Amino acid sequence: MTVLPTELEVVEQSAPPATAGGAPGARPLRALTRDPGALLAGGYILLIVLMALFAPLIVRLSGWGPYEFDQQAIDPDLAGVPLGGWGGAGSDHWFGVEPGSGRDIFARIVYGARVSMLIALSATALTTLLGVVLGMLAGYLGGRVDWVISRVMDFLMAFPALIFMIAILSALPASNRSVALVVVISLFGWPYLARVVRGQTMSLAQREFVEAARASGASAATVVFREILPNLRSTIIVLTTLAIPGYIGTEAGLSFLGIGVVPPTPSWGQMIASSVNWYTVVPSYFAIPGAFLFLLVLSFTVLGDRLRAVLDPGGARR
Amino acid sequence: MKRTHLATAAAITAAVLTLGACSNGGPGGGAADSDGGSVSYTDTPEPGGTVRVLQNADFSYLDPARGFDGGVNNFYRLVYRTLTTPAPGNSDDPSAIVPDLATDLGTPSEDGLSWTFTLREGVRFEDGTPITSADVKFGVSRAWDPEIGIGSPYARQVIDAPEGYEGPYRSGPLDTIETPDERTIVFHLREPYPEFGSVVAQNSFVPFPEGTGAGDEFINDIIASGPYRLDSYTPGSEIQLVRNEEWDPETDEVRAAYPDRWEFVIGLDPATIDERLLAGQGADANAISLTIQPATLPRVQTPQLQDRLQRMEGICQTYMGLNTTREPFDDVRVRQAINYAVDRAAVQNASGGTQFADISTTILPATVAGYREYDLYPSEGHRGDPEAARALLEEAGYGDGFEMTLDIRSQPKMRAQAEAIQQSLEPLGIDIELNVIDVSSYYETIGTPALQHDAAITGWCPDWASSASTFLPPLFDGRGITEVGNPNLAQLNDENINARIDEIRAMTDLDAANEQWGLLDEEIMELAPIVPLAVESGITLPGENITGIYANPGSASGGIDFVLVGLRDPERG
Repeated sequence: MTVLPTELEVVEQSAPPATAGGAPGARPLRALTRDPGALLAGGYILLIVLMALFAPLIVRLSGWGPYEFDQQAIDPDLAGVPLGGWGGAGSDHWFGVEPGSGRDIFARIVYGARVSMLIALSATALTTLLGVVLGMLAGYLGGRVDWVISRVMDFLMAFPALIFMIAILSALPASNRSVALVVVISLFGWPYLARVVRGQTMSLAQREFVEAARASGASAATVVFREILPNLRSTIIVLTTLAIPGYIGTEAGLSFLGIGVVPPTPSWGQMIASSVNWYTVVPSYFAIPGAFLFLLVLSFTVLGDRLRAVLDPGGARR
Repeated sequence: MKRTHLATAAAITAAVLTLGACSNGGPGGGAADSDGGSVSYTDTPEPGGTVRVLQNADFSYLDPARGFDGGVNNFYRLVYRTLTTPAPGNSDDPSAIVPDLATDLGTPSEDGLSWTFTLREGVRFEDGTPITSADVKFGVSRAWDPEIGIGSPYARQVIDAPEGYEGPYRSGPLDTIETPDERTIVFHLREPYPEFGSVVAQNSFVPFPEGTGAGDEFINDIIASGPYRLDSYTPGSEIQLVRNEEWDPETDEVRAAYPDRWEFVIGLDPATIDERLLAGQGADANAISLTIQPATLPRVQTPQLQDRLQRMEGICQTYMGLNTTREPFDDVRVRQAINYAVDRAAVQNASGGTQFADISTTILPATVAGYREYDLYPSEGHRGDPEAARALLEEAGYGDGFEMTLDIRSQPKMRAQAEAIQQSLEPLGIDIELNVIDVSSYYETIGTPALQHDAAITGWCPDWASSASTFLPPLFDGRGITEVGNPNLAQLNDENINARIDEIRAMTDLDAANEQWGLLDEEIMELAPIVPLAVESGITLPGENITGIYANPGSASGGIDFVLVGLRDPERG
């Protein structure tokens, strides 16, 4: 779950000889810390990660768990609308309560961060693994292997992924939904990374240093992992960072459609789905999870964009 | 009934309060009451104009042999007639069954095995041909067709038929229904069925001219016998009805049929429907819908809007069935403990609060004849009694709790109800895993004993509200457990209960039978095979120009009885 430090660490080490032009290793990180946008985005992501990690402690501090019903906070005669303004927000419930049940919205946001981050990061890890391995295999080996992998990628990319995800997830038994979500999202996500990796591998395989390595008797595995992979680092980091917000959005979307994580597990997408009916009466119920989700997606997108600008100046020219 | 909760409501809900209280009056309540200065829906409408119905889902089938649900039954009454039918919503006892095409509720023979009905004079189809007993016989026999007769099962269950009979199109006329002359029809039954007068009110008894309706003929076009005929039908989008000039009001004591046209607008989002009714612009002043969404209730608290609200008492029980064949629910003490522990007030809030749901402690809803009030598993404010539950669980050896799986439909309200139950059982160490099943396959799954889990939340509505005979036997008769389509979710098979069902069913005095059903209700709850949760009601917000709004437990599952609705000013909109 310590996504940010690891990323920065990797960023620090990655000084791709092909693009960085002999700059010292710490340059990208320094460039990022001087960028207020990237700093804000990184800070928000760090906040959400900490929130997810320490959810039980935070909830103990705020006083209400994510599953606890508070019948005193809602009005049973008015369809369970929260008592008091701002959706019942106050010292007792910091962000107000959910209409109909009186569950604490703050606690559900905090626990919802866990679901969002866990699923998005797991899916990212799995797609990265699949994308890099299959992309490099196709690009380096070429021939029949390339043909098979490329056709599978074409097939998956041409597929109406969302519709298929909905179909698979409604058909699967509800148990262990999180794992199913990660697998299904990754299944349709890896070709986007793999295609770029394949192209880069193909061009890198023609470069002098690869030929030199091959000529000096290095095995295929050594060439791929020691010579080509390090040169793909910046591409992978940028694409991965840009993929995370997509997966967060997909998880929220699937939860919104009622096929995400199993209730009562809190999820931001589910919260937004159930708040839709209440938007005129309790706007904060709609606005709070929406704002958290929006800012998280935005932060990852901004961070990914800035990373690309720093690591791959050529690609940033628009 | 939650009078105490209602009493604490602020004065602004006074209109709803009045209506809610007046519907406590007994079975079949829920008719509008005009006191309290609110908008009166009991004013007699003026004939003419177009009434619009805004709804989300399309009707299941226009063919009455196929359709069988609360929504479509109400629609059928506008276009079809049956031998008998539920009384109109404004009658003294709207739960009752009254004659429609027939002159009376039928005459049984000495042995109770054959029933004779006489048709009224002057009843005609939309093309002007008179409706004869042969048409009724032909219409009923369609219920045996394996592809068409997928609706109400009662005709097939009750009327005697030759082995392997498959409807008029495949097997020819049904010989066990006799038509001695054009206006007399005699049904021969398998076994005596004292409530046969209610059975012939089912949709499958709609008459059709001989030879019509084969295959998919009635999917998009119909032959009307009621006050309206089909003008146009666009599946999933719109149904237009116009007056059937051949229908003679002199022959019909049930349908007032004020408007000249009906327009059903289908496929609207529930929130959109509410917005349109709140705005009431243009033709929407002539519009009605089934119920508003709970989230709309806080928005209608202005005097004008809240005067227009009308609560429609529900007739369907929402309950959690406990699978008595699985551990630990094979132990009656565990089932009783669950009944003690469930926080029904939380479930009520999850269902939309006091206005949208009444807490139930009995199996029968208050609107079904035979209802008798009792509470075997009481708790303060219906919030659950964990202490009593824990004592029972310890006695049964489950003091540390257990794990169970609860089947629910993937639908927000049911999910909220399940979460409320989950939360109230958690202190007892009972860990509930929610098994969310897609809406389309839900009933198929829980109705298959091999696939159902420990418990499931579902609802049950009576097929006619004049007796509990379509409520208790299907749910609790152990001999009715089937491998698929099983309504007895608890799989309760108790010899005493089965014997009592037989005994009451054979009673020819229907009032005495209803009293016995009420007693049986409590006898069943002593075994706690289900946890009654709530009877969900609707709150409707008819357009300004609408009047004649009455609930009907029989034909409309407690919703607005279409046959009495009309406009105050037909020129408007």
